[in-house]
Amino acid sequence: MDAEGQEDFREFVANRSSALLKTAVLLSGGDRHAAEDLLQNALIKAAGRWHRIDEPEAYVRQILYRQQVSRWRLKWPRRELSVPELPETGSGTDASSAAELRLVMRAALARLTARQRTVLVLRYFEDLPEADVARLLGCSVGTVRSTTHRSLARLRGLAPELAALGPADAEQQPSRDFSPVEVRP
Amino acid sequence: MNVDELVRDSLREQATEQPPLEPGFADRVLTARRRRRTQALASVAAATAAVVAVAVAVPLLDSGKDDVRLASEMNTSDIIAHPDQTPPRDLIAAGDVALAAYYTWSNVKQTDDRAVAVRTYRLLDQKTGKYVKTTKWSFIDVAPGMRTAAVLEKDLPAKRIGLLNLLTGEVERWIPVDRGVAGVEFSPDGSKLVATTYSKNPDLRYKADYDSDGDGKKNDWMPQFGQSSRTGFYVIDVDSGKGSWSKATYNSNDLNVRQDFDFSHDGKLVYSGLTTAPHMQYYDFEGNEVAKPANERYVHWFNDAGLSPDGKLVGGNGAVLDAYSGKQAAKVHGQRPLAWADNERLVAWYSEPGTNEFHNRLVLITIGSDKVVPLSGFRKGNDGAAGRWTPIFAER
Repeated sequence: MDAEGQEDFREFVANRSSALLKTAVLLSGGDRHAAEDLLQNALIKAAGRWHRIDEPEAYVRQILYRQQVSRWRLKWPRRELSVPELPETGSGTDASSAAELRLVMRAALARLTARQRTVLVLRYFEDLPEADVARLLGCSVGTVRSTTHRSLARLRGLAPELAALGPADAEQQPSRDFSPVEVRP
Repeated sequence: MNVDELVRDSLREQATEQPPLEPGFADRVLTARRRRRTQALASVAAATAAVVAVAVAVPLLDSGKDDVRLASEMNTSDIIAHPDQTPPRDLIAAGDVALAAYYTWSNVKQTDDRAVAVRTYRLLDQKTGKYVKTTKWSFIDVAPGMRTAAVLEKDLPAKRIGLLNLLTGEVERWIPVDRGVAGVEFSPDGSKLVATTYSKNPDLRYKADYDSDGDGKKNDWMPQFGQSSRTGFYVIDVDSGKGSWSKATYNSNDLNVRQDFDFSHDGKLVYSGLTTAPHMQYYDFEGNEVAKPANERYVHWFNDAGLSPDGKLVGGNGAVLDAYSGKQAAKVHGQRPLAWADNERLVAWYSEPGTNEFHNRLVLITIGSDKVVPLSGFRKGNDGAAGRWTPIFAER
């Protein structure tokens, strides 16, 4: 990378790193250190081909997602998250329960596999349609759909408070592969 | 409330709570990129025999936050060539690699029939960007990023490994070892060292009772082939100085007297060259013999370039091969690849067609192109001649 490229890269990081970090933290299940590592690695890869990238942010995001998924594939021991017990919560439905519920959910999200969490972050934080998630992760739409379904079901199974929640639309479909099939008349 | 609504709310809340990154994150990335120090590594192998004492000092490789710039960072040109210099005096680099050091050989006589082959190094001084002669060390390897070198003192095998700061020229830390070490190599990301242990100095030479080089005189010094005193290897975590030793002797007839271990391309295994088929033996960090990684099937320890950074090609003599199939991917005519500058370019020895093969220079070649960019001047003398320099490359 030449001096001009480095300047350009620094500017990109200064402007976009906070937004990228948010995604990285969510992908890492709230582990800030793991998130910074994840983002650093993605940026290292982007820096390696800086002058050939048209849309740096899209490129870095794709690496973030895919890195996370391939980490899951590789089962890197260091990446196994150690997560504290779910926080104790009151049983009532008082005013504080919504905030408590979000904390319980956060802890439950951290206990999902990286792949499950990545799919949920893409669907519900980035608000991407299933087809875009499939393209980003390099899998079929059916896989995205079934992973979403299983992840939400697992979340509901991780804590009694979550089990009481209503099922999501995505859960009401059976976890079969619904990849579009071309039908010819 | 549905579960997906709560997921959405929780994620958004968690995202908004994040304090911003510290300033300078881009520089942290660029520094880390230079060193390729990926933080997530496979866990250090369970100790087979934990022997290395913990060296207490500030982790050297994390000292990148200071403001002092390395000479190799001041000039980031893609190609830094000195085609008039042999041996080189000023930094040479191309793509991601640089000439970090080079050495010449000489035999120092100990008795009438025994000598030690000694390397005299010229090591990059990161303050000036020049190669500076040093006779202090018997063995050197330079870490990726070229901020640190691992050094061994004279009189091998050595009982400690030094971590030399190339900016200050000072050893910042010593890692003591119980078993004598005569070779050290950094892992591809610079986080580990593999140190080869020997019971005797592997650089001893004995007076041959025949005329080896055909100059009419029986004055040649040779290693005692078939008598390697190699005992095994340490894998050492550079930051903590902790490591473990594994026995790995092999049949000494199949080893050169000096047969050092080095890391596999992904840094997860170590290997030893062998003088007979299968030519290489890989080991895990606990010293168990394991199979070759799939993309190292066509790697030969004798060829310096090895796998391309993306692991898809192998640089061999005269040709670049597909790492998985072994099929020729490109010809590199009359050139000996030494190091990958990136996935498409190699630093190689090159002699002009029709000239003496020993009369060669460092060049940069591009796969699929006839273009040859000279990087250094031509080496003089035949193989083994005094003053003939051997390069050591590192990622810059």
